[in-house]
Amino acid sequence: MKKNSNSTRRNFLKLGLAAGATALIGGGGKVLSAVSNPDAVSKETGEKVKLLSPDGSLVEVDKGHCHACPATGKEARQGIPNKKMVMVIDLARCRNARKCLEGCQSMHHLPPKIEWIKFFLLRDSKDTSPYWFPKPCFQCNNPPCVKVCPVGATFKRTDGIVLIDNDRCIGCKFCMAACPYSSRVFNWGSPDQEPLPAGKKYSPETSWPQKVGTVGKCDFCPDMVRQGKLPSCVTSCPNGVYFYGDKNEDTVTNGTETVRFSELVQQRSAYRYMEELGTEPGVYYLPPVNRLFDYKVGFQDLKPEEIDLYKKEANLSE
Amino acid sequence: MEYNNKTYKNYEDFKPQLESIGRYGYFFITAMVMIIAWGIYALYTQLSKGQVVTGMRDYVIWGIYDANFIFFIGISYAGALISGILHLLRVEWRHPILRMAETITVVSTMIGPSYIFLSMGRLERVWHILVYGRIQSPIVWDVFAISTYLIGSFIFLYLACVRDLAFMRDHPVGVARWRNRIYKFLSANYQDTPKQRELLNQLIDLISIVIIPLAILVHSVLAWIFGMTLRPGWHSTIFAPYFVLAAIYSGTGVLIIVMFVFRKIYHLESYITKNHFTYLGILLMILGALYGYFTFSEYLTNWYGSVKWDMEVLYRLFDTSTYWWWFFFSAFIGVLLPIILIAMPRLRNIYTIVFAAMIAVTALWVKRYLIIIPTLETPLLPLHDVRPEFAGYSPSWVEWSLTAMGIAIWLLLFFLFSKFLPIVPVVRVNTADERDYFKLRKLAKERILRRMIRKTRKEKNVVAGILVLLFMSAALAGHAQDPLRSRLKLEFLNKSGTRILTGKLTSKKDDQTVPLEGMEVSFFIQGANNKVLLGKASTDEAGKANFTLPDKLDIRRNKEGKYSYSAAYAGSKEYQSSESSAAIMDVFMKITFSQKDSSKLINLFAVEINQKGDSVPIDGSTVIFYVPRTFSLLKIGEQAVKSGHADLDFPVTLPGDSAGNLPVIARFEDNDNYGNAEVNATMAWGKKLPPLVIIKRGLGDTNAPLWMVYTLIVLLSLVWFHFTYAIITIFRINYLGKKALKEKQA
Repeated sequence: MKKNSNSTRRNFLKLGLAAGATALIGGGGKVLSAVSNPDAVSKETGEKVKLLSPDGSLVEVDKGHCHACPATGKEARQGIPNKKMVMVIDLARCRNARKCLEGCQSMHHLPPKIEWIKFFLLRDSKDTSPYWFPKPCFQCNNPPCVKVCPVGATFKRTDGIVLIDNDRCIGCKFCMAACPYSSRVFNWGSPDQEPLPAGKKYSPETSWPQKVGTVGKCDFCPDMVRQGKLPSCVTSCPNGVYFYGDKNEDTVTNGTETVRFSELVQQRSAYRYMEELGTEPGVYYLPPVNRLFDYKVGFQDLKPEEIDLYKKEANLSE
Repeated sequence: MEYNNKTYKNYEDFKPQLESIGRYGYFFITAMVMIIAWGIYALYTQLSKGQVVTGMRDYVIWGIYDANFIFFIGISYAGALISGILHLLRVEWRHPILRMAETITVVSTMIGPSYIFLSMGRLERVWHILVYGRIQSPIVWDVFAISTYLIGSFIFLYLACVRDLAFMRDHPVGVARWRNRIYKFLSANYQDTPKQRELLNQLIDLISIVIIPLAILVHSVLAWIFGMTLRPGWHSTIFAPYFVLAAIYSGTGVLIIVMFVFRKIYHLESYITKNHFTYLGILLMILGALYGYFTFSEYLTNWYGSVKWDMEVLYRLFDTSTYWWWFFFSAFIGVLLPIILIAMPRLRNIYTIVFAAMIAVTALWVKRYLIIIPTLETPLLPLHDVRPEFAGYSPSWVEWSLTAMGIAIWLLLFFLFSKFLPIVPVVRVNTADERDYFKLRKLAKERILRRMIRKTRKEKNVVAGILVLLFMSAALAGHAQDPLRSRLKLEFLNKSGTRILTGKLTSKKDDQTVPLEGMEVSFFIQGANNKVLLGKASTDEAGKANFTLPDKLDIRRNKEGKYSYSAAYAGSKEYQSSESSAAIMDVFMKITFSQKDSSKLINLFAVEINQKGDSVPIDGSTVIFYVPRTFSLLKIGEQAVKSGHADLDFPVTLPGDSAGNLPVIARFEDNDNYGNAEVNATMAWGKKLPPLVIIKRGLGDTNAPLWMVYTLIVLLSLVWFHFTYAIITIFRINYLGKKALKEKQA
């Protein structure tokens, strides 16, 4: 009797193992099908990831071909090797179209109430003309937010990106107080967001789903970088305001133009916002000279009270 | 154990308040419990709905919870600093007020931190601080400091209670049995033997000394939470001493109020005299003046420097439409009125002193509000792109309810404690209980510092379940309409000899070009007489269908040496059919690299294949050179091919990988004859990417700088060594008492 019960237990265990293995293979098959999809455009990154093939053997696939690989766990805290992501924003081209925000929201499955890109009408002094100033997270190289986090829920990665692990965040909001650029937003209530599809794991790289009581912000889209794709704000801007790229490749692109990063920032006298704070932002601005649009064009889609607020803060009297 | 007559007389005075709660007492307890119950409902609302029920929003991220937190930690100074200092200075009149002061400390240190928990978005993850805690964060400093402080003030209060506990144990008349058991347990067999007395006095002195720097540190750390940020009004070097001073000021005020209340309800006029009020009032006045000095110094510096953001905060404080009256109350009334009332002998009496204390305490709460809110309302970037409800702050009913709850718990705990032990120490010792202060030196020599071993606990992660509301996204498809036009564009790419046909299928919707996904595109080649089907492929999310041609085609080229390819989309109910074609010549390309003196060159060799299959050098077409990068191709130059050759300088300034490997692509683009044709090659002439230097210790890194770790360990060890010593000595007192009792019986 004793023997019997033992053996059934063992059988049960075996069964469980087998079931687990099948599940693994099934999942692997899914990933592989995404991989084997021929894509002439995707480039090899040289970095290999191990995947389980449908017949149960481990295969190595180049990460550039992998379409379902936002890193999770420890890997997500380290960053994509040999990369250093930067952004250059051309203020001469911005007309407050806010398409970048729409793109960001649709890519991150955010409801309209959660805004990770903000738009300012800055005016440096009363004698100068105001200009539109879109602001993502600056991904500082000396990030004040990361310094103060009590649990390491927000962290700086080797690829220059500052991410939030909202499974770890305790919601103390200290990072929001520390960020001088007000780049962080808090999920005060339920984010009312499309849920993660079944079987997908949360990754700080996708920032999806947002969780009530935790902090969120622009994440520089490392999951897209892993796929060799540009973030949605870059591709959805109608005027090519955003240039994004890898500083280690000395190249940035806005989707249509690809230029040397060093030449762009040097020739166009790029600056980083409030450099004097010592935060060393990873986002550069090109000064609004030879503008494509008058700043008033930016008012066309706004409500009258919003225009009034902008005018008031920018000291515009007319 | 023997007690003197004075002790018995004292005890007679306190007996009534210990033995019954009284009608008013029950009324008071009921009222407090009702407020607390309401607070629990508010807490439930916040925990279930999230902080959306508070008045805090993205700009004003901290509100009155945090003001309350600073306020309660501030008033805890009453016991720690005032009683500590008075005790060490052997001030004679201190005895009747010591216990009140120490109780204020313990109760406030219990209530205060709970407001930090209320201010947290994910209360259930508070254990993350233990598991993932980063020493670099001032919040973690606070966790260490406040928990140590709470334990220290418990020990301090307890030590001062031991004699009274022993007395209560020895005189159990009229008090419930369970209470007698507690007295007996807590009195640690204190028999007032000479050795016990010496140990106890020694301990009280020791903890008085330890608690003073500890209290200063606690409030400094609290100030640093604000001071370490880059915000106007917070990022100030005097913030820590400013907070410490404000804390003693409010602590003294609360002590005066508490003295007054107990004097009234328990009729303690013979214990707490007018002198007590006068002495503490003068202390309050001095502290008020110092506090005013700090305030003036802080705002004068900001105003004189007139940095943009500092000025914006100042404008808010001095603007009558925003905070002027609050500011006026906290910085002018709250400083000047107590000074005037107490400084003038004519005005000075118990009531004015208590009134001054009340003004000071209220002003200091307002001050904490004014520290937090106006600064948060002044971000460095303007408040443009803000929904109106996000810009300002007004506390919601939940926040007010929980504030009331905190005050109610504070009052209730205080009241219950005063029913448990006499609120004024009753035991008066026959012999002088003042030990020589300098005996401590001898003590220090006897002590041997033992190494403290820190145990780190690892706790398993507990996965918290989270509810995410379903977000409706399915849009219903419209009714059947006429099929829309589709557009197919055939592109040809010769990639290092592999020929790929790409059909890009799009349609126009609302004047926007949208890709069609999942559609089948057929690819054909023109044979001698008819079209030959090459194969089929379906479109991806970008609307592209790719088909790779076989290496050899059994089809003859036309006169120009071209193949005619075409692609067709059959159409569906929604989209019309479409097709596209292209005539393309095959090419062969090769990249080599050469170095002449200092110039490094990319050499392209390119030929086209004519009708007969012979190679003919290309002449005149433009070839573009690229370097492939993560997202796109970086153009490095273009050249016209001359008799099959084109050269370009190698982009030696571009970074490659760690070995300098840089791939180069040469490409004919949208060429009339060749379509797209490209070839690539890699050469290690690029700039070498320096290896990544990972800094492991730093403020923003995983591990804290070593000096921080050492400082923390040293500070904590010092304090905890003394606490441990105190606890061990209490056990020793207990042992000595047992021994003494046995000897007596024998």
